[in-house]
Amino acid sequence: MFKLASKAIEVANKYKVDFGDIRVVEEHTQSISVKDGELSGVTDQVTLGYGVRVLYKGAWGFASGSHMTERAVADTAMKAIEIAKASRRLMAAPVRLAKEPAHVDFWQTPFVKDPFAIPAEQKLAILMKVDAALRKDKKIKVTIAEMHFMREHQWHMTTEGSRIEQVLMSSGAGCTATAVENGQSQTRAYPCTHGGQTLGGGWEVIEALDLPAHADRVREEAVALLSAPTCPAGVKDIIISGNQLALQIHESVGHASELDRVLGYEESYAGSSFATTEKLGKFRYGSPIVNLVADATLPGGLATAGYDDDAVKAQRWHIVKDGVLSGYMTNREFCGRIGKERSWGSCRADGYSNIPITRICNLSLMPGTATMDQLVGEIKDGIIMENNMSWSIDQKRLNFQFGCEIGWLVKNGKKGRMVKNPTYQGITPEFWGSCDAIGDHSQWRLHGVMNCGKGQPGQTATMSHGSSPARFRKVKVGVHG
Amino acid sequence: MKNIELVCKKIFRLAKGVQCEVMADTRDSALTRFADNVISQNVASSAVTYSVRLLDDGRGTKVTFNQADDAYLGHAIKAGLEILKKQKKDPALLPLAKPRPLAAGKNLYFRETAELGPVARAEKVAELARACKKSGQVACGTFENSASELVIANNLGLFARHRETNATYSATVRDRDGSGWAECPAYDVADIPFARLNESARAKAARSRKPREIKPGKYTVVLEPQAAADLLLYLSIYGFGGQMYNDGRSFAAGHLGKRLLSPLLSIEDNALDGVAAGMPFDYEGQPRTKVKLVENGVLKGVVHDRKTARKAKTASTGHALPQPSYMGPIPINLAIKPGQGTLADLIKGTECGILVTQFHYTNILKPQFVEMTGMTRNGTFMVEDGKITFPIKNMRFTQSMVEAFNHIEAVAAETATVSAWGPLTCPAFRLGGFNFSSSTKF
Repeated sequence: MFKLASKAIEVANKYKVDFGDIRVVEEHTQSISVKDGELSGVTDQVTLGYGVRVLYKGAWGFASGSHMTERAVADTAMKAIEIAKASRRLMAAPVRLAKEPAHVDFWQTPFVKDPFAIPAEQKLAILMKVDAALRKDKKIKVTIAEMHFMREHQWHMTTEGSRIEQVLMSSGAGCTATAVENGQSQTRAYPCTHGGQTLGGGWEVIEALDLPAHADRVREEAVALLSAPTCPAGVKDIIISGNQLALQIHESVGHASELDRVLGYEESYAGSSFATTEKLGKFRYGSPIVNLVADATLPGGLATAGYDDDAVKAQRWHIVKDGVLSGYMTNREFCGRIGKERSWGSCRADGYSNIPITRICNLSLMPGTATMDQLVGEIKDGIIMENNMSWSIDQKRLNFQFGCEIGWLVKNGKKGRMVKNPTYQGITPEFWGSCDAIGDHSQWRLHGVMNCGKGQPGQTATMSHGSSPARFRKVKVGVHG
Repeated sequence: MKNIELVCKKIFRLAKGVQCEVMADTRDSALTRFADNVISQNVASSAVTYSVRLLDDGRGTKVTFNQADDAYLGHAIKAGLEILKKQKKDPALLPLAKPRPLAAGKNLYFRETAELGPVARAEKVAELARACKKSGQVACGTFENSASELVIANNLGLFARHRETNATYSATVRDRDGSGWAECPAYDVADIPFARLNESARAKAARSRKPREIKPGKYTVVLEPQAAADLLLYLSIYGFGGQMYNDGRSFAAGHLGKRLLSPLLSIEDNALDGVAAGMPFDYEGQPRTKVKLVENGVLKGVVHDRKTARKAKTASTGHALPQPSYMGPIPINLAIKPGQGTLADLIKGTECGILVTQFHYTNILKPQFVEMTGMTRNGTFMVEDGKITFPIKNMRFTQSMVEAFNHIEAVAAETATVSAWGPLTCPAFRLGGFNFSSSTKF
């Protein structure tokens, strides 16, 4: 594949571009789902193509194609150069990329069992068993049990001499039951909503999730939510589960720390960020116990790879250290704006047909020291909230509102009755500033985000967020229309 | 096109003995993105994707690929047939659809739009960027164009083909702490009023400087067409999709024929002609039909694909998404009936309220009531005694749309088109008692 890719590099060199690269990507995905007792589908998808990026006299051009011939690759490279020439009509200072050594390497996601080698009937048997358990109660009207697998083979060449081959693999599964009664519906999911839990790895990820062992509880809690009282409104102390906290980290820290957004390059779509560059190293983002670490080397992470799509080697760095803003998600184009000579390496593209953009890396809240009993025991009047249902945050990543699947009241240090439709609202730095306890290492889990949308044309990326449950004081809860 | 037909025939030959459906999506697209008054990204993509469904006696599978040489096709279909053999039988799985007569549909393909190149796009965005630079404003946005063709064919003789072009110009202007936005999608780039959009975004940005914070609470709102469209899209999808309806999860379930919304609201799904026209068949190759969802506040109908129609003991309305689909059918060519007067008239008739340009990051909280949350963005203003008095800091709403659109005070005549799942045309609305639950810092 590198032979084919080298045609693009030849063209780029011939036109003396400042920088050029080609990413050839073969992506194989498989989804298997059972819905309401019926086989909803086995879908197998394989795409193969390439994207060529050139920086020509300081301006960007990008073109992609899927005709796998040397002529087509060369034509696509020429198209990228023509587009870059057009970009020069409206430019200020020429784009300069931060330096990175040339890498020649092979990297692949460690896995034990190749999920694509597991027979479809074995996967289906598990899903059918889970679905049957979910549907045991007549109030359950909608059930979904699903598995997803992905293998992405990349060949990346740059005009700087990098030649990187990577094979990324992920596996995931989940189940959902929706109970309906008297015009009301309540949903419960395991291990989390939005397609379940996905991690970097193979079939062993599915085995560890053990969906059948959780189906009965999912069904029972969905039905129980129908008759549970609604989450009370007011200002209360809350404990947020790891799977909900993952999305809180994603929305209020991950996106806020993407340097392209911070600099205004996402303004027209996803928005900008309150975490502007003059705040770096000074701004109190959260309480002193809050440490958020970006890590492209994290085992099992969905953003874990040997290199990002700027050909920068994987790294680990703080975004928030001891409560203070300490870093950003960067690419090679923008890291110089904060005085960094080398990118932290968080630039990725969705498939072959999209240009690499700054992305959230794996981003995790470091564990604290509290047991669950300690988190609960120090609350007089509060709520435990688990599993995300809905999310919304303003375009500078300040005002947010999350809805969760299930909640439990806490009174005088004791976990009490279940409540439905729990919601909470806040302002990012005030919220993280109210964090006064974080669960210990034994409760820390990695949670995958499969649907992170950004950019124009729209791109989807995946990443993971690790967290334990954590406690936040005086939060506005129970916001309803 | 001939190539696509040829590939379909090859696939049918390879899939001999089982039912086989091919969805071939050919797409050439390009997008110029600008920020900080310069072009920041400039991309083009060419792609053909084949999705092949194989069905045999209650068993089904789907393979998707983008390479169509003989070796690749042979491998992909063989792999699909192997998976198919191992499937469990699903008694609810429908056989493929037989061909039905299809309406020709409106011409939605425009050569000038298909051929628009990076230089033409750069020149257009430069007009806004240069004007903004002169006045100390900052321009960002996108100008994109595409040409696409979709073919749905099966080995029962069904063959449906649709092609269209699309262009969208989106302008966001920042003026210190103020911001404005204007956007227009069109099938024909000649229909995009660039100068008017630029002027509108720039004027709104200037006018929204130095916003003041106001207390959250219930307010009368004047929603510009794009803001209203965002909310009505959710109302339509969560209310009038056949699967949600069948499951009893829609507010319309059991209430067809009843007036649950304001008499000033009428919504029609119509892909065939009129203002929200689109592809005249669905993703099963079945003809789209016009469906009245709401007429003068009365719930009139829901949309179906073949599967939900069978469960509801009715006929498909031609609203299938690509199969298999979790969501079931949804209305995607929505025309909201306009009223009378102008946006200015809606403002003039407001004693105390809030004017909203656009919503951001809207999301559903309780599907059965279409209770939603989201933020205002790019120009939010206080209206007092019929006049815009000052810009306000952005607000978060938490509100049931069933309730909100039961409190319509007035609807304007002029509509705007937004591009969602398909085109949605919508006028401006004035609603009473809209719930803002909090505010933000800017």
